[in-house]
Amino acid sequence: MLELNPILVKDLRSRMRGARAYVLLTIYLLILSGVTLLLYAALAGSIGNDLNAGRQIGRTLFLTIASVALVEVCLITPVLTSGSIAGEKERQTYDLLIASLLTPWQLVWGKLASALAFALLLIAAVAPVMSLAFLFGGVSLAEVVIAMVGLVVTAVLYATIGLFWSALTRSSLGATSFALGSVILILLGIPFLIVIATLILGRDVSSDFLEAPLFIYLSRLFIAAHPFIALGVTATQISSGENIFVEVVEAGASSVVVPSPWLLYSFLSLIFTMVLLFFCVRLLNPTRPVTTEAPARAKQTGAPDGA
Amino acid sequence: MTAIVETLDLTRRYGTNLALDHLNLTIPEGAIFGFIGPNGAGKTTTMRILTTLLPPSAGEARVAGVSVTGDPRAVRRLVGFMPDFFGVYDNMKSWEYLDFFGRAYGVAAPRRQQMIGELLDLVDLGHKRDEPVMSLSRGMKQRLSLARTMMHDPRLLILDEPASGLDPRARIELRELLKELRALGKTIMISSHILTELAEMCTHIAIIERGRLLAAGEVQQILRSIRAHRIVEIRVVAGAARAEELLRSHPEVLELRREGERDGEDASPLDDASGPHLLLVDFAGDERAMGELLAALIASDVRVSHFAEQAGDLEDIFLHVTRGIV
Ligand SMILES: Nc1ncnc2c1ncn2[C@@H]1O[C@H](COP(=O)(O)OP(=O)(O)OP(=O)(O)O)[C@@H](O)[C@H]1O
Ligand SMILES: [Mg+2]
Repeated sequence: MLELNPILVKDLRSRMRGARAYVLLTIYLLILSGVTLLLYAALAGSIGNDLNAGRQIGRTLFLTIASVALVEVCLITPVLTSGSIAGEKERQTYDLLIASLLTPWQLVWGKLASALAFALLLIAAVAPVMSLAFLFGGVSLAEVVIAMVGLVVTAVLYATIGLFWSALTRSSLGATSFALGSVILILLGIPFLIVIATLILGRDVSSDFLEAPLFIYLSRLFIAAHPFIALGVTATQISSGENIFVEVVEAGASSVVVPSPWLLYSFLSLIFTMVLLFFCVRLLNPTRPVTTEAPARAKQTGAPDGA
Repeated sequence: MTAIVETLDLTRRYGTNLALDHLNLTIPEGAIFGFIGPNGAGKTTTMRILTTLLPPSAGEARVAGVSVTGDPRAVRRLVGFMPDFFGVYDNMKSWEYLDFFGRAYGVAAPRRQQMIGELLDLVDLGHKRDEPVMSLSRGMKQRLSLARTMMHDPRLLILDEPASGLDPRARIELRELLKELRALGKTIMISSHILTELAEMCTHIAIIERGRLLAAGEVQQILRSIRAHRIVEIRVVAGAARAEELLRSHPEVLELRREGERDGEDASPLDDASGPHLLLVDFAGDERAMGELLAALIASDVRVSHFAEQAGDLEDIFLHVTRGIV
């Protein structure tokens, strides 16, 4: 008989048993609907009553809801997982799990799945609010689907980032700080680097370089690592009538076909997720006793073991 | 009896600190094996290696013939481990706790239900089945942990200081419980730095200090080997210097120490004015020879107020062994 992952069962049980999950869900929805209402009140007063105005309201609402939901997913999902493995270490149950017949992969997957189950609940809760925007028109179904895909992909990657720190550090507090630190680094670091790069490249770089396909690919890939930029650019492209899946970049005489930013983003996120999961599984392998010992001690033990 | 645990030159280093130094242990199947040593001796380190939680730096450890580094999963199936702390989850009832670990060991659902009932009864927690784990007392948590180690019906139980923090009554209960487990055919390895705790229930003991095995074997056998030379306490009121001289040259005196001093290196002769002196003699002779020794002391005008063999229970073995006398 096939049994559910034990970690998943246990964590879902305890997550849903406490009041925390419901408080979090309520706060999340309150923020989302509060912003929506405020925005609607502001827009409804300033824009006229014709059909176009309705579309405009719908579109603005959609973009706002998607952005707020994305911010919330970026900040909540790493916190959901960062306490998971570190929490086992704090409760001193970590050794018991490692000494059991659970495989490291089962442990990692159980922790991730229980956090994702909750994250998906949060994302699913966005749907009714989004359908409100849908009612006004101005938003295509494709856009809604892309937004949802973007949210899910973000949830998976950022949950894995939290999980990675959780496997690496000993305390949940440390793991949570590192996880949120990484998220902030990604969200602020990439735009910062983009600005720097534009400043440098804007001055004295030949157009040959800027129009080389390799540069075009790499720069798009880099930009697409940022969820807001990737999804925002996609939204602009779709509203200006471009293809959903590809973007054609004019480079001098020829043109280069690049996948749409949201596709690039999903692809990148998937790769990073898999790499991080790989490291998580390695960290949980007791033949590398890094995780159960103080970092300073772990460093000491590392050397003779490696030999 | 066949060996369920075997270690061959097992060595573990933490940086430059040698926690285990070429340890060679053998635990026969069906034994209650007391693993004794002072703080920092390497007991926990050995147990963590045997439960595959820690890789050895060198040497080998086998459980039922399976190498802990070669096939850790097979070893985990054979071993139930109770660390020297309880890992408990808040928000979890006693039966759920056992259920979770049953799942973690891949115990099928119907068997799990049956085991939970049986084990809770065995550790006398049947009435706490639906209580949150956090609400249990220390002794109850300890017993629940013990039930947890049994969920997958392992052949070997490794219990790291299970009696620490328990009151005398709970210790007795624990002892009874371990005897029951032994009757069920389990081999039990149990560590402690308190010897009396293990004295009556163990069939075998091993004494370890600073990562080295000092003595190992059946309890009776170790007691006998210790008895071969006994420690005689002699309290001298007058003529201590003469007494020392006589004792040093006596063929059956293996070692002579003054009370409160480690190596007996102090060469200055004892002064009777500084009060009565207690001499500890490691004596290889039998009871008759002891009588002769006393007579010899008296004959050379030494005034003795106390002359007795130290009561030799396990506690003494431990003290002597770890002092390096044996
Ligand atoms: N994680 C670690 N990092 C570095 N050194 C360690 C670590 N764990 C144990 N040691 C060292 O290894 C030696 C043996 O420790 P161990 O915990 O095995 O002793 P023990 O016999 O269980 O002692 P106790 O009775 O206090 O539990 C000690 O010198 C200790 O300082
Ligand atoms: Mg210990």
